[in-house]
Amino acid sequence: MTRTFALLGKELADLRQNLAIFVPAVIVTCIAVLIPVFVAVIVPAATGERLSESADLEIAVEMYKKDPTMRTLDPEAAIQAYVFQYFLVMLLLGPITSAMSIAASSVIGEKQARTLEPLLVTPITTFELLGGKLLGALLPALAVTVVSMVLYLVVVAFTAERGVFGVLLGTRTLGVVFLLGPLAAMVALQLAICVSSRVNDARTAQQLGVFVILPIPALLLGQLFGGVELTVSVILWISLGLLLVNVGLMWFAIRLFDRETILTRWK
Amino acid sequence: MASAVLTASHLSRRFGDRLALDDVSFTLEPGEIFALLGPNGAGKTTTLRILAGLIAPTSGSVQIDGQPMGPQSAPQLRARIGFLTEAPGLWDRLTVRDNLLVYARMYGLPSPGTLVDEALERFEIRDRGDDRAAQLSKGLKQRVALARSLLHDPRIAMLDEPTSGLDPASAREVRDLVLSLRAQGRTILLCTHNLDEVERVADRVAVLSRRLIAIGTPDSLRQKLFAPRVRIVLVQPAEPFATVLRTAGASDVRVDGAVLSVSISNTPLTTPDVVRRLVEAGAGIESVTTEEPPLEDVYLKLLDPEGRAS
Repeated sequence: MTRTFALLGKELADLRQNLAIFVPAVIVTCIAVLIPVFVAVIVPAATGERLSESADLEIAVEMYKKDPTMRTLDPEAAIQAYVFQYFLVMLLLGPITSAMSIAASSVIGEKQARTLEPLLVTPITTFELLGGKLLGALLPALAVTVVSMVLYLVVVAFTAERGVFGVLLGTRTLGVVFLLGPLAAMVALQLAICVSSRVNDARTAQQLGVFVILPIPALLLGQLFGGVELTVSVILWISLGLLLVNVGLMWFAIRLFDRETILTRWK
Repeated sequence: MASAVLTASHLSRRFGDRLALDDVSFTLEPGEIFALLGPNGAGKTTTLRILAGLIAPTSGSVQIDGQPMGPQSAPQLRARIGFLTEAPGLWDRLTVRDNLLVYARMYGLPSPGTLVDEALERFEIRDRGDDRAAQLSKGLKQRVALARSLLHDPRIAMLDEPTSGLDPASAREVRDLVLSLRAQGRTILLCTHNLDEVERVADRVAVLSRRLIAIGTPDSLRQKLFAPRVRIVLVQPAEPFATVLRTAGASDVRVDGAVLSVSISNTPLTTPDVVRRLVEAGAGIESVTTEEPPLEDVYLKLLDPEGRAS
């Protein structure tokens, strides 16, 4: 583990000198925070039409009537709470984007700067090396998760109706942000590491990351059309699935990260 | 002779259909500088990587201090090797000190901060310790890379093109460092195209062109390939005296103005005989020296025995 932590220290020191890598994650997080504010607060205020009177949000009204956590809220606040919860999964985009960017540039960056061969000469094992790379991308992704969550809650606290903030602090939100977020980020970054082991261009690795981001809009649409309700148990099942995918990807990444191929075919 | 620090036995390596290395065997003795020479694509870097346990040979084996290199033992044996890669491979955004610190921790060295300070001092880069690696000149980067490869005090230093692209002053500094490593008892495997460098520092030389073409000390290779010659500088044109020597039995006499070059193998004449005959014939002699062909001639002759390239 000493070598993994040594590499982790290097990764974090390198990131501190390369903060521009977080720009895509910051942009995505800002969009994820602003879209629900726009839908739930700005548009009703600008048009004068209350959410509870909108025909487009009948599903939300139905759900509001069924959901015990929202019964204490007035109809407008309940629908705002629904909208803010609905868009919560968008917050996963921040950690996923940052994990993809960091992991892709971290492995391919080592290739391009020809810094990997001296590293491979040390007694470091492939597991330790990938562990250091993984943690070096995961920890910043977790930081992005926490920052985006705090930002989301602050925005809700200042812009939404009374009581919406309390509803958002529930188990479901915490599950999405602190269970789904890190697990999805890990899938993204392990995929980036796998792809990086076979390509020489960080952009290629990032483009392939779209496959990790695709399920999120799918989840949004699923909620919108009522097919998927992101309850605590659904979150737990998805998390379990992601955990299994992560274990499989770790196994796959170690096998893909073949030192000989990397040394003899990387140009 | 002390037992070999490293033994390479019948190493071969294929990359697909291409045979990069074919049945190469040699040993590294303690405290020697061993130079591996060869043209581009001769398999030098492949050999170094196999010896360092980075890639496996298709056939053959490597032993370090008598222990066979294999997938299980490689991480432990690699700790005995300092490997300077062809590119310095420094993390540009990190400072020089941080670059070294990561490696000190990677090797699990005690008091890594103190060791790094000592290395910065030894390699005379202390004043650049807080500079980012990207700010260094190529020569300084190479010096930092050398410091990094020796941080863990390895028994064997494998240096791949250590002076490649350096200006003469920086190259000389690196050469002095290599000599100081030998003085400390380390074994050095030097992989280079720079024959002048090899001439200055190497105890033994191996010439590789997929197969091992020759191995030995620079002098033994010279003697094997070139007949010993004596060079005599006269104070007058040398041509008339060449005839004198030929008449006396010298089979190979070359003339260049006032200079005579005489082969003293396969002839009854010794160097004192040659000098005596010239003096008797009235030649004024300015100097007499043994002629040593440069290592470059030895190298080229080994790679192209028929002299087709020239």
